[in-house]
Amino acid sequence: MALAELTISAGEAALLNAFPPTEAGDAARAQIAADGLPNRRVEAFKWTDLRAALADGIPESDGSAGLIPACLQDALVLDFAPDGFGLEGEKDLGLIIETEDSLELEGAGPLATMAAGFAPRAVVLRVTQSQSRPVVLRRHPGAPMRVRLELDAGARLTLIDTGLATAGLSTGLLEIEIGSGAELVRYSLQNGDTQAIDLTHTSVDVADTGRYQAIALMFGGKLARAETHVTLAGEGASCLIHGAYLLSGHTHADMTTKVVHASPNGQTRELFKGAVQDRARGVFQGKILVERAAQKTDARQNHHALMLSEGAEIDAKPELEIYADDVQCAHGNTIGALDDQALFYMRQRGIPEAQAKSLLVEAFVTDVFDAIEHEGVREWFSELARTWLEASSS
Amino acid sequence: MAQKSLKDPLMLNINNLQVEVGGTPIIKGLTLQVPAGQVHAIMGPNGAGKSTLSYALTGRDGYEVVGGTATLNGEDLLDLAPEERAAKGLFLSFQYPLEIPGVPTLTFLRTALNAQRKARGEGEISVPDFMKLSRDVAKKLGVTPEMMKRPLNVGFSGGEKKRMEIYQMALLDPRFMILDETDSGLDIDALKVVSEGVNALRGPDKGMLVITHYQRLLDHIKPDRVHVLAGGRIVDSGGPELALALEADGYDRYKDAA
Ligand SMILES: Nc1ncnc2c1ncn2[C@@H]1O[C@H](COP(=O)(O)OP(=O)(O)O)[C@@H](O)[C@H]1O
Ligand SMILES: [Mg+2]
Repeated sequence: MALAELTISAGEAALLNAFPPTEAGDAARAQIAADGLPNRRVEAFKWTDLRAALADGIPESDGSAGLIPACLQDALVLDFAPDGFGLEGEKDLGLIIETEDSLELEGAGPLATMAAGFAPRAVVLRVTQSQSRPVVLRRHPGAPMRVRLELDAGARLTLIDTGLATAGLSTGLLEIEIGSGAELVRYSLQNGDTQAIDLTHTSVDVADTGRYQAIALMFGGKLARAETHVTLAGEGASCLIHGAYLLSGHTHADMTTKVVHASPNGQTRELFKGAVQDRARGVFQGKILVERAAQKTDARQNHHALMLSEGAEIDAKPELEIYADDVQCAHGNTIGALDDQALFYMRQRGIPEAQAKSLLVEAFVTDVFDAIEHEGVREWFSELARTWLEASSS
Repeated sequence: MAQKSLKDPLMLNINNLQVEVGGTPIIKGLTLQVPAGQVHAIMGPNGAGKSTLSYALTGRDGYEVVGGTATLNGEDLLDLAPEERAAKGLFLSFQYPLEIPGVPTLTFLRTALNAQRKARGEGEISVPDFMKLSRDVAKKLGVTPEMMKRPLNVGFSGGEKKRMEIYQMALLDPRFMILDETDSGLDIDALKVVSEGVNALRGPDKGMLVITHYQRLLDHIKPDRVHVLAGGRIVDSGGPELALALEADGYDRYKDAA
């Protein structure tokens, strides 16, 4: 639209300059020149207005990439910094790491295009046999990441990815192919401050009896959005997607997922829990699409959120779209406040209000983490949640 | 009445208390004194305001005290937060105990005990000491280790919940106890066990208010005084024999008083 080009925002102008002169960079530039940044008039971004968040330009990057917790000391760490990509730790047999200057885009949508556009090259991880050593993808403040991950048949990998910038625009694109009977177990952590914009897009393709299992914890930022598009392409493919968002202050976090069942006997388990207070905003958009061919699909989606303050906001859009006739699909979505009666009961026993609230919220979100098989990571995430609760209830 | 007199022979001292719920007067000028060392029973028909009184005393939101006073050991209760009242030693065994999903019973109780100790300026109880205490008390009250591991009250029967209330009470060792229809939901064997547990908590520096609709409980927990609450007021008081008379005649004769 010619008019849109005339009213280009400072942020859009800054972005047009920021993309490198690569094929993907050019594609991203062309997209923004044509459509502008995704904003509230675009259905998929109606609650997460990227144009507004970037209205004043790209915030200066700040913060650190974070320390690798003790429980992951044996991990192979891939660092994505603004000035390049680095490796730390030992690499085992059966893991091949290469870089590619130009790769066809698997992910879809404006975030995928932007994230691909920023990344000077893609890091390609190929897993030919199961890995006992976890791989960490550590995104530094203001850094772009693009990772292509291929799991060969039967291979298993544990992946941890973190984005902890306190300020700046950080992007991530993960394009994942899970082979027959292979399994990816992924734990994601995002933490930001009110000057951090964190955008990630993950596209996953799962072959027959393969499995994608992902558990994410988000604390939000000025705007943080994690998109996941999973296609259960092969028969008997499955995915488990859990997410928790804990938001306070003026933060914003968006968990947007789409799972496509394209073959029979697939299984999806989704559980999302959120707790939002002050003037923070949580967004959940979850779509499950069951194609005609995907008979005997078993899909469940649950999203439950707590509003802890009057000024908080939670927007949820659960969607089931089913074209097969022999399926089991269920979803549940609730947004509520803490149970006053339970609070009074706890206070009557002598537990101060703030502590009672934090016990109740902890109990509310904790089942999101129950699926974490890695004991150290489970404890790490639970501890982060507890720290947030203590800080936010004091 | 601001002075703190530990020698006050009255533990609980309620004077002309008036309580509204949602703007409707429920307790309409209630006066009641429970001296240290005594157990008083409150009986009354359904809807008389018995639970309302217990919530007003423990500070539940929505139970608005619009007049009168209530002190415990000479200290004003009504301005304190519920947790502060608890730390002063006030305990309510709920008529309908709440389920607290996701919070294991023992975690809940240790948190409560330590919070009360902290509020009183005492140190935390050690984990081994707490485990021993919780096991000893559980044994006496027929609370199984399996119940203690579950989230508090979740999936418990009505009777199990009541037993768990008294278990919590024994563990927290409060000075003044309000038992709101603890007998409902208990079969006769459970009633005996629970009553024994309650009786073990009687003492010269303790007080109790036992709310019940039926006389049955008072066979096991012998009150020093019995009061009849009807229409938001105490309309009659007497010795234990009053409970027997009520059992025989019902509450009809208080209809006019209310
Ligand atoms: N939360 C409440 N909201 C509205 N009315 C209430 C509430 N609690 C109690 N009441 C009313 O107050 C009166 C006394 O109730 P309650 O104290 O529960 O009686 P009791 O315990 O003696 O059976 C009843 O008429 C009841 O309907
Ligand atoms: Mg009642």
